[in-house]
Amino acid sequence: MPGIIENLVNELTRLPGIGRKTAQRLAFFILSMPEAEALSLAKAIQTVKEKARFCSRCFNITEKEICEICSDNSRDKSKVVVVEEPSNILVMERVKSFRCLYHVLLGALSPIDGITPEKLKIRELIDRVKHNGIQEIIIATNPNTKGEITAQYINELLRPLGVTVSRIAYGLPMGSDIEFADEVTLGKALEGRREL
Amino acid sequence: MLQRTEGIVLKTNLFGEADLIVTYITKDYGIIKTFAKSPRKVKSKFGSSLEPLTHSKISFWGKEDSSLPRLVQSDIVYPFHSLRSSLGCFLKVSEILELTLNFLPERDANNRVYSLLLNTLRAMEMDCRTELLLLFYKLKLLDFAGYLPMLNSCGRCGRKGNIFYLSSGTVLCNRCAKDSAPSKSLSPAVISLWMNLLGWDMNKLGRIKPAEKILQELTALIDEHVKYITERTLRTRTF
Ligand SMILES: [Zn+2]
Ligand SMILES: [Zn+2]
Repeated sequence: MPGIIENLVNELTRLPGIGRKTAQRLAFFILSMPEAEALSLAKAIQTVKEKARFCSRCFNITEKEICEICSDNSRDKSKVVVVEEPSNILVMERVKSFRCLYHVLLGALSPIDGITPEKLKIRELIDRVKHNGIQEIIIATNPNTKGEITAQYINELLRPLGVTVSRIAYGLPMGSDIEFADEVTLGKALEGRREL
Repeated sequence: MLQRTEGIVLKTNLFGEADLIVTYITKDYGIIKTFAKSPRKVKSKFGSSLEPLTHSKISFWGKEDSSLPRLVQSDIVYPFHSLRSSLGCFLKVSEILELTLNFLPERDANNRVYSLLLNTLRAMEMDCRTELLLLFYKLKLLDFAGYLPMLNSCGRCGRKGNIFYLSSGTVLCNRCAKDSAPSKSLSPAVISLWMNLLGWDMNKLGRIKPAEKILQELTALIDEHVKYITERTLRTRTF
């Protein structure tokens, strides 16, 4: 394989879910594309790296100082959903019945990896709660150990501020079968039961 | 080749989109890293079995010397869920996990450390606030891994001595110490706590009731020793 194509293949294998075979297919496809289209792809990658930044309020990805969600006046600004990553917002936004604001931590606490509270946007969350009339914080960090201890840490800091702190419910995935759930998941689902 | 053993999850690290690298301490292979495909997807067959501290029966697939065998199955034996559901407990446990990772080489089975960790986790479930248990674990781990500092006599010749030399990782007598920069003079109470912790079984720990000051003194000494050997402060200690 010519060096320049080899190089493109190597770059493409950096992407998640792209193995060597797929990368080769993509590389030859790019080679066959009209020049304008291929360059527009390259340009889009360049632009996103140059222009994308974090919203100074919620740390969502945006190209402006304040992101579209934070500047949307039709949203319920008294509730803030706390998530680990900007990509979590996209998923949350698919829930159309819930339109509020977000706060991205840019990670989760992990003592063994040296991810301490200062490395996350926790202080910024506390500042928002202190100054922006927020009434409820909904912690939607991942339902795993890192997400869980992060939720606890934030809760301890927020409680004294008189804001309601809630945690998204744990349970079984919709469409799954109880028979295949492990004891921890099932235990959490039982703890989080509600009256019908 | 399919390999089966039992192990405890020490840590997990994200890999790609939905995959994980799961680091286990196992009974038969010591510390190993395994690759788990898609456990972060909601309907993954792994469920919660890859969370830190989970004791499970596992099978993984790979050549004998494969640096990252693929995890095929993990069945929970005991989840130790209570230890990771409280921030305070999890911080303490994390220190134990980090030390274990620092002092055991990969792919080197160490049955004594494996049992020690399992028993310590069980004991911590009863009471995770006890500093004594943490210190007990540190000393035993250092002992089993070959890094135990000698505190009750000279580590070179066995003569009497009570001055600890950080750079030598041991107490030295006057004769052996001639070139070393002195570090710390140890009180008889500290030395006796060290001897008790090493000599007694974990289930008799409750009978040792050291003064808070002595406990902290020995803890600080061991932490410094660990820092000297690993050439850095434990990450969990900076939390
Ligand atoms: Zn924003
Ligand atoms: Zn000597």
